Amino acid sequence: MLSPYGLEIVESCLTCKLRAERIFCDLPNSALQAFENIKYATAYPKGAVLFVEGQSPRGIFVLCKGRVKMSICSTDGKTLILKIAEPGEVLGLSATVSGKPYELTAETIDPCQVNFVKREDFLRFLKEHGDACFRVAEQLSEKYNNACHEVRSLGLSHSAAEKLAKLLLEWSGRNGEAAKLEPRLKLALTHEEIAQMIGTSRETVTRLFAELKKRQIIQSKGSTLLIRNKAALKLMAGA
Amino acid sequence: MESAIQLSCFDCSLRPDRVFCDLPADALEAFDAIKTIALYPRGTTLFQEGRPARGVFMLCDGRAKLTVCSGNGRRLTLRIAGPGEMLGLSAAVSGTPYEVTAEMLDNSQVAFVRRKDMLHFLRMHRDACLQVVHLLSQDLHTAYDRVRAIGLVRTRQHGPVKTAV
Repeated sequence: MLSPYGLEIVESCLTCKLRAERIFCDLPNSALQAFENIKYATAYPKGAVLFVEGQSPRGIFVLCKGRVKMSICSTDGKTLILKIAEPGEVLGLSATVSGKPYELTAETIDPCQVNFVKREDFLRFLKEHGDACFRVAEQLSEKYNNACHEVRSLGLSHSAAEKLAKLLLEWSGRNGEAAKLEPRLKLALTHEEIAQMIGTSRETVTRLFAELKKRQIIQSKGSTLLIRNKAALKLMAGA
Repeated sequence: MESAIQLSCFDCSLRPDRVFCDLPADALEAFDAIKTIALYPRGTTLFQEGRPARGVFMLCDGRAKLTVCSGNGRRLTLRIAGPGEMLGLSAAVSGTPYEVTAEMLDNSQVAFVRRKDMLHFLRMHRDACLQVVHLLSQDLHTAYDRVRAIGLVRTRQHGPVKTAV
């Protein structure tokens, strides 16, 4: 079945081919069947808001396809992107478990398939299925790990240049590019969004990119970035 | 150390008030069997950021400081953990290195459980696993609060507003 956003919706978790690779989804049959009964498969276009920081938790969102931007906001409207969630992640988990308001805002940056489960259903499901409960603990641990990393990066980095260098090195380590002398990466975010990820202004990010290009540390073609001098970038990151 | 060492969780009078400790009898018995109790003086480092997760530390009493460290040795306090909290939990569950350093702020009694034993215990006892999910959610809430406090204040400092104030 094709959805309006060009997504091929996987209606049933039981027949999902991607399940085996996903931490949460790879459940034993009985738990999977129970999950199947309580979830709603939905498709969202790019730019849809799944939930907003401060809202009381309605339930969890399992990201099946596409990516979601997770951010927090200050009262004066400043945004900080904590993470770009990838397929297989469960969003809104800690708020749903604890009953406290969602801590983050989730906004899709691609057309996404999301499986939604209502809070009461999910809590009952966790009580009945020990395996699923363990997977949730694993997911929460990963998120905690990420939050600590964020605190370290925001609180202990000296400058925006250091944070940008760290971010580029982190991205360049993906998709088997880590071992390459001159890794290549695809910039999926705008300068504004990168600024929101490292807690600085859009102007600073643009200036830093220009500087990096001038010093021949990076080279860009469209949205593809080539890191030409990894050592210099590492030096900037203080690694 | 004000109170005498308490070897069994069954004799602990504080148990009903604690998120994790208030377990059904069979789970408590199993937990009792895998934990080792130790008294640590103030200033002891329970575990260090970046080291492989050996296991979890339950603070029976006293407090511990959780810090993160930068490459050049600067430290930032994430939070102060209090009695009844389980430290090193997320690293032990996910099998990743400890994300923080935990240092005792008081002379305290601490129960230690090896990672392998803890994972086995959680798989066998659904109630305990659910409590752990609650504990992790709480930890995550506090961590996000910290991100908000640090990240958004810094954002503002970098902005043009700084010169206007």
